[in-house]
Amino acid sequence: MPSLFGVAWKNLLRKRLRSLLTIVGIALSTWVLVSLLGFNQGYENSLNKDIDNLGFQVLLTAKGCPYEAATLMLKGGTGLKYMPESIIDSVVANPQVERVTPMLMHAVFDPNKGESGGITAFLGIDPATYPAMKTYLQFQQGSWFSRPEALEAVFGYESAELEQREVGDEYLLPESDAVVTVVGVLKRSGTQDDGTIFLPIKALQKIYGVENLVTSIGIKVQKETDLTAYEEELYKLTDVQVVSMAQVKQTISNLVATARVMVMSIAIIAILIAMVGVMNTVLMSVLERWQEIGIMKSMGAMTSHIFRLIWFETILLTFAGGVLGSVMSWILASTTDTLIRSVLPYSPTSSLVQVDILLALKAIGIIMAIGIVSGIYPAWKAARIRPIEAIRSTDGEQ
Amino acid sequence: MKHVLLMLALMLAAAMSLHAAVGCDLNDPDRDVKRLFPNSSGYKTFYVSVQQKGGKDLLAKVEKRLGDKFTGMFETMDVPYTVYEVYKDKQVIGYIHGVNQKGQYGGIQIFLALDTKGTITAFYYQKLTNQSAKAFRSAEFGRQFVGLSMKDFTAYEPATGKLEGTLAKIKNPAPKAERDFKATFRGVKKNLILMEEFGYIK
Repeated sequence: MPSLFGVAWKNLLRKRLRSLLTIVGIALSTWVLVSLLGFNQGYENSLNKDIDNLGFQVLLTAKGCPYEAATLMLKGGTGLKYMPESIIDSVVANPQVERVTPMLMHAVFDPNKGESGGITAFLGIDPATYPAMKTYLQFQQGSWFSRPEALEAVFGYESAELEQREVGDEYLLPESDAVVTVVGVLKRSGTQDDGTIFLPIKALQKIYGVENLVTSIGIKVQKETDLTAYEEELYKLTDVQVVSMAQVKQTISNLVATARVMVMSIAIIAILIAMVGVMNTVLMSVLERWQEIGIMKSMGAMTSHIFRLIWFETILLTFAGGVLGSVMSWILASTTDTLIRSVLPYSPTSSLVQVDILLALKAIGIIMAIGIVSGIYPAWKAARIRPIEAIRSTDGEQ
Repeated sequence: MKHVLLMLALMLAAAMSLHAAVGCDLNDPDRDVKRLFPNSSGYKTFYVSVQQKGGKDLLAKVEKRLGDKFTGMFETMDVPYTVYEVYKDKQVIGYIHGVNQKGQYGGIQIFLALDTKGTITAFYYQKLTNQSAKAFRSAEFGRQFVGLSMKDFTAYEPATGKLEGTLAKIKNPAPKAERDFKATFRGVKKNLILMEEFGYIK
């Protein structure tokens, strides 16, 4: 006696093209579903990684001071505001602080850059604390500075490429006669560090006459610290501004939230279309086999047998589509990644769409649940066929 | 504060999108093309690399003609070169092409404006880091390259830096900066060779 699976499978093979198109439709819906679920978890992880890569959760700067090289360029290298180095003692005194690193941003006008000159920005860092904060920075060549006040420089990859500098080369600091030796070239990190020229903070302070001053302090706090409360405490210091990476993360998340809602709406529509498609396919199949089902019933098939057979066909279709769609989403993950990146206002650097086996199983489960629901009506319709009426009819359902 | 954070977010995005090898583009093409070709009416930009135009074979040929190897981390086959093809109405009247050249204290960007036969009509340092940069970037120094073409550089050997023939007339404006003076000739020769090998100059 043929099994339920065998009969259902043969029935699907009788209309191969229709079955195939239905499976492809379900697969596309599954692809969208898996990709979007993958995006939901991938985006969050990727964003967290980017924020962690910044090395510190809080950046303390002098009030109104541009704290990023890009802002500094936009302002033509002007507007730098300084804080006394002594402020570090006040920051470190707080037991919630795990580590701090002082930084000095310095921008100089280089008359020999471009037709009418340009701005070159340097970041003075403390070799004792900065590398520990930015552990993701790796060297293409060389290493960090030999001494805290050494006349040495470390170039981000892109700044090294622009200046054609390698380890051992000399570099002339604009607006001064100081020549530094390149001791390191960083690998590409995908962050703004790629375009940065790092100098020991003590050396930079001395060369440009800004001794004992800093423009920002990177602060890493203990894990259990309430960041919002800590920021409030920092504002008790005079003339400072606090930039919290938690806030940055929130801002980016808000930017992306609208796009996520739109994309999820599209996914739901795609699933509904697949659901109607499955129902239509199976219903068509039932109507075409009206007489055949009538004969099956007249030969002793019970209502429950017919119901289960039709329902099983639906489940088979959705299972095949679900598996195919999951495989597609895994193979096309990078393409999906690129597509999503093109519509997002901000994309973190690492993979946006993280597809794993659990996610694929979850999606197959959802799609099969949809199949189970979609299959109820056609199965019920088939199960209630009256054998005599069905055998007498010539064109399916009367 | 929201605006500040939004700006930071966008800046992070911008910084993270920069991944390609650095070529040598004009800082302000509209302005610079008009300055180098005052009678031009437009230009087209082409991006070409040794890798794309012939790979290792072409690299070997360029290096042989140059008399020097492409060296270091940044002088590689995949560096994209930007060629500006300059038009007067529909007619090509010349090209602008720049190369990065390693200098003593920083990167040197050497741009040449060429007529369709490959004769230099203008020489221009877009970037140069040296105490004597002003002397190198002077109009007098640049004018000495006008009228020269590949045939004048054929015998130039970057290894020795010895100037012969028409090149011998070009005087170093800053004798203390001999390395950048020599680097300039290597850069110009490389620039001209690439323009020929890329097929713009016959």
